[in-house]
Amino acid sequence: MPPSTCLRCLPIRPAPSPRPVLLCHIALPPAQTAAFSTTTNLSAAVAKKRPNSHTGPPKRGVKALNIKKTQRIKSGRPPAPGERKALRKRIVLSNTNALEVQGMPDLSDKNITDASLVCRVVGIPGLVVDSLRAVEAFKPTQGWGLFRRPAALVRKETLQLGRYIQEVETAEGKKTIRRVVVGERGSGKSTLLLQAMTMAFVKGWVVVNIPDAKDLTIGHTEYGPLFNTNPTQYVQKTYTANLLSQISKANKAVLSKLQLSQQHDLPIPIQSNISLDRLADLGARDPDVAYPIFQALWAELTAPSTKGAVRPPILFTLDGINQIMRYSAYLSSDVKPIHAHDLALVRHFINALSGAQALPNGGIVLAATCESGKPPSPTLELAVAQSEARVAGAEEVPQPHPYKAMDQRVLDSMRDVEVLRLKGLDKDEARGIMEYYAASGMLRERVDEGLVAEKWTLAGGGVVGELERESVRMRI
Amino acid sequence: MKPSVLLRHVNGVSTALKCTHPPCKGRLFRPVASKLFSTTQHQRATESIAASPIDFDSFQSTQLSRDILRKVRVVPASPSYFTGKPDFTDNLLSLQALLRKYQTLPVVQPGHAPRIAWKTHAQYKVSVSEPVKAAKYGKIVQLLHRLNHIHPSLVPEEVLEALQLYKRDVNPYDNVAVLQTVDPYGRARGVGRRKTSTATVWLVEGEGEVLINGKSLSQAFGRIHDRESAIWALKATKRIGRYNVWALVRGGGITGQAEALTLAVAKALMVHEPALKPALRRAGCVTRDPRIVERKKPGKLKARKMPAWVKR
Repeated sequence: MPPSTCLRCLPIRPAPSPRPVLLCHIALPPAQTAAFSTTTNLSAAVAKKRPNSHTGPPKRGVKALNIKKTQRIKSGRPPAPGERKALRKRIVLSNTNALEVQGMPDLSDKNITDASLVCRVVGIPGLVVDSLRAVEAFKPTQGWGLFRRPAALVRKETLQLGRYIQEVETAEGKKTIRRVVVGERGSGKSTLLLQAMTMAFVKGWVVVNIPDAKDLTIGHTEYGPLFNTNPTQYVQKTYTANLLSQISKANKAVLSKLQLSQQHDLPIPIQSNISLDRLADLGARDPDVAYPIFQALWAELTAPSTKGAVRPPILFTLDGINQIMRYSAYLSSDVKPIHAHDLALVRHFINALSGAQALPNGGIVLAATCESGKPPSPTLELAVAQSEARVAGAEEVPQPHPYKAMDQRVLDSMRDVEVLRLKGLDKDEARGIMEYYAASGMLRERVDEGLVAEKWTLAGGGVVGELERESVRMRI
Repeated sequence: MKPSVLLRHVNGVSTALKCTHPPCKGRLFRPVASKLFSTTQHQRATESIAASPIDFDSFQSTQLSRDILRKVRVVPASPSYFTGKPDFTDNLLSLQALLRKYQTLPVVQPGHAPRIAWKTHAQYKVSVSEPVKAAKYGKIVQLLHRLNHIHPSLVPEEVLEALQLYKRDVNPYDNVAVLQTVDPYGRARGVGRRKTSTATVWLVEGEGEVLINGKSLSQAFGRIHDRESAIWALKATKRIGRYNVWALVRGGGITGQAEALTLAVAKALMVHEPALKPALRRAGCVTRDPRIVERKKPGKLKARKMPAWVKR
């Protein structure tokens, strides 16, 4: 076997100075053979040995494992306070990449009881969109940002709401309808509230909306006791001021035409014939006077209509009713948890919902449960079951568990409230909304019976949120 | 060493080894001179080595019998002793003789004979303890196959007995799946398993509603992938809108439950529409996935994971 040095000497191409191969082996020391090669790395300087290179096992007492934590490189400025929340709560109502749906009708005061619109997607008129945005009717989790412009499916329950509105307007002696919307997660409860608000705005009603009852009870807004109340009630003045600003902004068209008609004991002097939207603005500007002004505004809105001053009906809505059917996160001065019904705004809504406080000009009080991250409220569940049994005319109404404490205030507030249960869409409604997805270019499949049946089943029986998730959001 | 004792001992071992086989009829006891038998005795230790045992007690201890004994020579019982594979040769010859005897009997159409699982080559080699080649055993199987085709109403008892020797202990073809039917309420039942989950499904004709443990499909499975897995059999055959599923699932995790449902729905669907089986097989809904979690081993952290290397 020839020595390796000799093999290395063998030139791949002719060497610059031809030299006998044998001579190289005999005469030259092996170190000089590097010059013979054409590759550069052989002639490069040998890398200096580092003290802790892997030449053998580390010495005793020396740390063998040397893992450095990667330093997180900070770049740019940190987000300003509230910036992240603003991003999280941002509401996008348009997708310029989605196609405009041709021939989609808009909701108007003429067609809210039009049965031919059922199973069709109906657009929300632009002016109403601004009002809905002002009352925070759009939720960031809903898929408004997927389509060209805000639109919603008219389902049977939507038509039912339209009939309620008509009923209130045509009833003798101004009727009040009170309902709690229940249904599983993603079944369209919040959207139904939004549709109710849309119809109310279109009809020229006053809309008061508490967009998420969680904000009132989880202790994220300041609170203080209300004097001369027994049991003590608590006022959340910043929230009230914000609510007043929402009311004013959303209902400007209606409230600007209404004027103060009664005497109110307010902490600030106000003009005697001030319009109601300016009154609300005054309260929105100063949280200290917000609650008295809210009370005054409500008194004005519920004042009996006269020939000179016609008061419109009111739509009072609240989303997440299971948050207010329990103890809140606030503590009283003797460190006891405050029941949510002792918060003034919550009590205001509960009075309207239970019928304790009438709406003399008529109106609808609507509440919806919220199923995501919902706190336990067994009494509300019982009350809902009881209400459903009553409406169905069942012989046996569910009774409270004998060995579990029930919240009597919750039971009392729900005593004669009816429940509107949202189930999944039926196949026709599912087809209607899927055709809208396809027309928007967001569903790139042919909408036929097979596809509708498949998506309907996968959505757990037409749960509309799941239907949207699997047809539009999860598209591959 | 007493030859008689040795002979009996050897014979006892061979009978224990071959208890299922009756003694070969072709073997004869031929008393010949006694010189040769001790040398062959040590080389082979099976029944086929030589001959039936000599009953020494029958000989009187007279002078005459002693003279006879002196002339006795043990010869192999079977003429195939010197083939090297005597049992195999005897088997082959006896089957051939049997076929020759009954070859005129009417036979059934090819493929219409009762399905019988014959002993495998390995099983046969163990039973005769001889190095039989596969091709040679193939000849036996060929004969068995031919004999098995004799018309069932005319098969002689002798043939049945002979075939019995070559059957496997358990005939897998006897295990016929019970044909499931749709019950009077229109329900078809199917059971499926995957990992440690077990699903039972009742499938009825309907509008595509699904209830799993009393919950809707979207409540039972949060992931859309799992929902699709659960009703994959219906989706692959475009039957989603035509059947209602009512299922109970127990054990395991979410994926296991969803995939157990795949199998259960497919089996129930095959009860309603047996013609869908090939389509379902192509969709991968017919065969149970046999993979289960691998057991943990001593010295390892999990099934295969080794503990971290520590220097001394």
